[in-house]
Amino acid sequence: MPRFFLASPRGIFPLVFLAVFSGKAAALTPIAPGPALPIFLKEHCQECHRADKQKGKFRVDDLPPVIADVATAERWQKILNVLNAGEMPPEDAKQPPKHSKSDFLDQLANLMVSARKSLSDQKGHITLRRLNQREYRNTLRELLGVRTSVSELPADTSTGSFDTVGANLFMSANQFEQYRGLAREALDEAFERRALATVPLKQRVEVEEKFSVPFQRAVRWLDALDQAAARPENAALVSELRSRVKNESEFRKEWTKLAGAPDPVAFGFASNTDFLDEIRRRVGSVKIPETVRQYLALPGLDQGAYLCNFGMVNPELGFSATVQPGPEPSPLKGGSAPAGEYILRVRIAAAENAGAPRRFIEFGTGLGNQSSVLSTHEVTGTLEKPQILEIPFTLPRIAADNAGSAAERNSRSLFIRERGVRDLHYSHQLTLKQRATGITEPTYVIWVDWMELERVQNPGRTLPPGLAALPISLEENAPNPPEQDLKKALANFCLEAFRGVPAPPAYVDKLHTLYTSRRKEGDKHGPALRYVLSIVLSSPSFLYLEEPMPDSKRRRISPQELAVRLSYFLWGAPPDAHLRDLARSGHLSRPEVLQKETDRLLNDPRSRDFVKSFMHQWWGLDRLDFFQPDRVVFPAFDSNAKNAAREEVYETFAHLLRTNGSVRDLLKADYVVINGLLGQYYGLGEVHGDHFRKVPLPPGSPRGGVFGMAAFSYMGSNGQRTSPVERGAWVLRKVLNAPPPPAPANVPSLARLENQALTARQRILAHQEEPQCASCHRKIDPIGFGLENFDAAGQWRTEDILESPKGTPVGRQKTAPVDPAAAFHNGAAFRNYFELRDLIHQRSDDFATGLSNALIEYGLGRPCGFSDAPLLETMLQRGTHQNFRLREFIYALVCSEEFQTK
Amino acid sequence: MSSLTRRHFLRSSSALIALPALESLGFRPFARAAAPEAPPQRFLFIGFGWGVTGEGFLPSLQQPGNSYALTPGLQPLARHKSDFTLVQGLTHKLTHEAHWGSTVWLTGANRYGEPGQAFSNTISADQVAAAQWGKHTRFASLQLNGGSSTVMADSGHGPGLSLSWDARGKPIGGIDTPQALFQRLFSKEKTSTQQLHARIAQERSVLDTVLENARGVHSRLGRQDQGKLEEYLQGIRDLEERLQKDESWIERPRPKAPVGEPSVGLGGREEIRATYDMIVAALQTDSTRVITYRQPVSTLLKSLDITVGAHDMTHGQEAKEGEKVEASRRRDVVQSELLAGLIDKLKSVREPDGSRLFDHTTLVFGSNIRTVHSLENCPTLIAGNGARLRLGHNLVVPKDTPLCNAWLTLLKGSGLSLERHGDSTGVIKELLV
Repeated sequence: MPRFFLASPRGIFPLVFLAVFSGKAAALTPIAPGPALPIFLKEHCQECHRADKQKGKFRVDDLPPVIADVATAERWQKILNVLNAGEMPPEDAKQPPKHSKSDFLDQLANLMVSARKSLSDQKGHITLRRLNQREYRNTLRELLGVRTSVSELPADTSTGSFDTVGANLFMSANQFEQYRGLAREALDEAFERRALATVPLKQRVEVEEKFSVPFQRAVRWLDALDQAAARPENAALVSELRSRVKNESEFRKEWTKLAGAPDPVAFGFASNTDFLDEIRRRVGSVKIPETVRQYLALPGLDQGAYLCNFGMVNPELGFSATVQPGPEPSPLKGGSAPAGEYILRVRIAAAENAGAPRRFIEFGTGLGNQSSVLSTHEVTGTLEKPQILEIPFTLPRIAADNAGSAAERNSRSLFIRERGVRDLHYSHQLTLKQRATGITEPTYVIWVDWMELERVQNPGRTLPPGLAALPISLEENAPNPPEQDLKKALANFCLEAFRGVPAPPAYVDKLHTLYTSRRKEGDKHGPALRYVLSIVLSSPSFLYLEEPMPDSKRRRISPQELAVRLSYFLWGAPPDAHLRDLARSGHLSRPEVLQKETDRLLNDPRSRDFVKSFMHQWWGLDRLDFFQPDRVVFPAFDSNAKNAAREEVYETFAHLLRTNGSVRDLLKADYVVINGLLGQYYGLGEVHGDHFRKVPLPPGSPRGGVFGMAAFSYMGSNGQRTSPVERGAWVLRKVLNAPPPPAPANVPSLARLENQALTARQRILAHQEEPQCASCHRKIDPIGFGLENFDAAGQWRTEDILESPKGTPVGRQKTAPVDPAAAFHNGAAFRNYFELRDLIHQRSDDFATGLSNALIEYGLGRPCGFSDAPLLETMLQRGTHQNFRLREFIYALVCSEEFQTK
Repeated sequence: MSSLTRRHFLRSSSALIALPALESLGFRPFARAAAPEAPPQRFLFIGFGWGVTGEGFLPSLQQPGNSYALTPGLQPLARHKSDFTLVQGLTHKLTHEAHWGSTVWLTGANRYGEPGQAFSNTISADQVAAAQWGKHTRFASLQLNGGSSTVMADSGHGPGLSLSWDARGKPIGGIDTPQALFQRLFSKEKTSTQQLHARIAQERSVLDTVLENARGVHSRLGRQDQGKLEEYLQGIRDLEERLQKDESWIERPRPKAPVGEPSVGLGGREEIRATYDMIVAALQTDSTRVITYRQPVSTLLKSLDITVGAHDMTHGQEAKEGEKVEASRRRDVVQSELLAGLIDKLKSVREPDGSRLFDHTTLVFGSNIRTVHSLENCPTLIAGNGARLRLGHNLVVPKDTPLCNAWLTLLKGSGLSLERHGDSTGVIKELLV
């Protein structure tokens, strides 16, 4: 029996399998109900719904033997709906036994999934693909060397299929205008980067000047003011003032009236007028707070400043990326720093009393609640021996219509701060912790000496392929190039943009005419040229992966088309020169060359796009962002830990891809791929630094493989409590290749068990009382129970918090032991998590089938249908014979007929 | 005659995208819209994704008629009680997608209706109206959309770019912010008429250029792929129509904005409020007569300091208590408060003949999802006297009446000529006065 049956509920649609595995997949794979369904219908429905009665104008006695059209599918769907909704059989009629109703619903729901899949089978046809959001972004990057934000474009993922599926990639008038606008922005930035390629920009901020000295100055002056106020000759005045001022700021305003008042200028303030505002910003309108005094008692303030985790002193250290007009001539105007690649260097240290979780900072741009974190970094330096942290990042271009606005200024603000201090609930969590434990965390543990921003130069002025294709002047004010030169340049640019497909002269002529008319309208050469190029980047030949088929007959694709398919599969980006050369020479179609190129592409950093977008979509990692972690319950699981958990998924897959490891390691492994932050979070000893690496696990560790990943546990929760249902359904969908049918609409809600303290397990078992629920939940829930030893944030636990059915925790104190023992529906039993993991690990074939399914859909850009059974079998054969090595599945796909057929 | 050949190409590439040859042949059927004598009819569809709280929003089915008790969720609408009707019992029979609050809400389509495709859709009710009324206004219709595709997915709307789907069932893109809508409606041209003509001519050349490329690609593609590329051609055709509109409206300056420009970066409640203001402004200035608005839910919750996730919230909507159902109730109330404010404005704005804008508008407020995963008895609130409907009622229709029957009733009631919409089986007579 072919291996990918094992996961499927047995005996449900035997006809499907017969048709598929006889190797003669018919034009339409017939989907037929197994024998059990008609028996049930005859017994419970036919009495009223037959030829001579037809209640509700519905008959079940004449249902066609196979589901070969949409109308028949709808008749079966109706049966499924009314049973799920509990409407049929009617209340006063004889009810089927619960288990047989469950079985019926189970089989019918799966039958409908098969029928829908069969009826929507594209029979191998790959619909013309538009560049999706990320491919469009990547293609602009490869062509023009810039990173354009494309978030305004549709995300192309909403129909639930991969974002490569051409049939679901739509186009509209608005989108055309967006493409034009984005292309123009990208071109403007590319030209600007070229013009400023070698312009140096470097600025260093000695942070004490901005973040320590002002506090010292303020406190010294205020202390002096207090001394003056204490003089006997001021007593009457002070008592009069005190009787009428509302706060300290108002009192301070009267400083000139006090005899012997300190002169602000002598204390380092710029003048004696505005300094009180500055003081209010530093200490507030109150007496000098204790936290400020504590701050000023810290060592190293003459040379640097500290970050705080809570309170008013320096939650962030930062500065704005700007250009200071200098004496020497520079093409940079004063103001915001130009777009480009930058490095932020920070001389930084953690104080001795910094606990391990607090030795991390986050870096980002923006201000306050509008800020966004770009990366997290471990601080390993000490006050004796600070480290210099290097953070590379891209500063985006300011959108033209945003120039000079506050939003623009904010987007130029760079900051570092302690991890998670701006997370939702953070301060609440801190307060609770302090109240509960009485232990006050030290406020200041991260010290910074200076921050330095440097723009990465491009001394060789290497041009991105798009600009290199233009052998004409790219200076803004250049005169019109000779007509022939310009046409040649435009044709060259088209060739590059259209991935090697030449543009016909008539099109180039029209582009040229547009350039001329823009010039007549008064545009300079540069803007006129970019106007025209942005049209090229909004044309179908750029936006669509064209695969001609003039006579509508299936054909083998050309080597050039193969190159495009391959690079968009593995890079989400166009083929580079090497790949295009290979295609032009015709060698690419040779299997050994194709496999070698596959390796080269996978070894290239650009394959990161494949890793991220494939894993994100296949495993549904968007769920990580559906809710915020509750930091009151999970103080250590801040947004940084969540991001690291997401990266762990990518990095583990990337590790397998790099080493051509076994995909079985995703189910169970004796190692993890983690960085310092996760090492600390998982309690795995001395792992330091921001890069991910393979770390061996101690014997008996529950980690290793997907179930030990915090991302998995968190996705299988609501941010606070575990959801065994989510976890079980995920395992069926992504691991065992036995996806439960979509959650049915219109299922009546359960009778609630009010006011009873129940474990998650007890609460869920209530589900199974109803046959409609049991039909799926008896398969889903046991798996979830076996994973209950992981809390919502992926930490191991042996006690579950009791909760009442209405969904509020009774309290952290009331717990009950986790009971992970359960059994697969009609299958093996397990006593604990480790046994469950072993049972799942034994079903690696099912996992490999699911992976192959996903690769087919992602790589080919169309759903994987029943007609793909032979391809699926080929991939599995090759993969399983090669010890489940990840690249084998990919080789098998790219070398397949399907991958090379239009 | 490049524009003539262009149209010729569009016509020949598919029968479906035949473009009327217009100004190039000197035919200007709607260059000058004569001011209608009676105020025109308008349509406004507002969809709110994840449905409503299981109990506490829709009135009791046991209290049909006009003396029903308002639920807590409807309480903010009390002052308008006689001016809206809730229709209960409506359902789209052909959809079973428990997370799609909007995808087929105005269409009634079966996503599997097209063999060989896992997803397809059909024209939405608003576009039926736009096709007949669009010629009278600067914008045939406007689609508003409350955020990025992530926000919308999180808000329970399902696939789509707005509530609207064109005649071929393809999604129509929306305007994401009230500020962008303001710009679209009221931004003042600083250029002269002559310059505007030049710009339009230039834009035509741009479209002409991309069509030159499309023509080549199209001729090489297989039939199925040609069908896909036609979405692009349709987009270009829509832009052409916009240019024709722009051209025929050049002599008429953009209307003076009756409201100020909304600030950038509003979120949730304030964004919805500002969008409602802009909707009234668009209708009041007769910039368009058909508007759809796909309203955000997830950002609305955030703006109310509710930390429960939007989808997560729906799974507590049938509970008696708990933070999820509390969040859900709060959402109901705030949505109703906002709607009540919108109705206030529609009532306060006067038409040239002295009647209220509300008297010539049909407003629909609803979702394909009732609550949690229930797709039956879709919440449907209808207000406004545009379609001359029976208002002030809790109208309980037979269970599983097609929701498309309601759309058909509204469309016909507003004077549009059509026989059916989606899977409609007829008009709802009880809804008619």
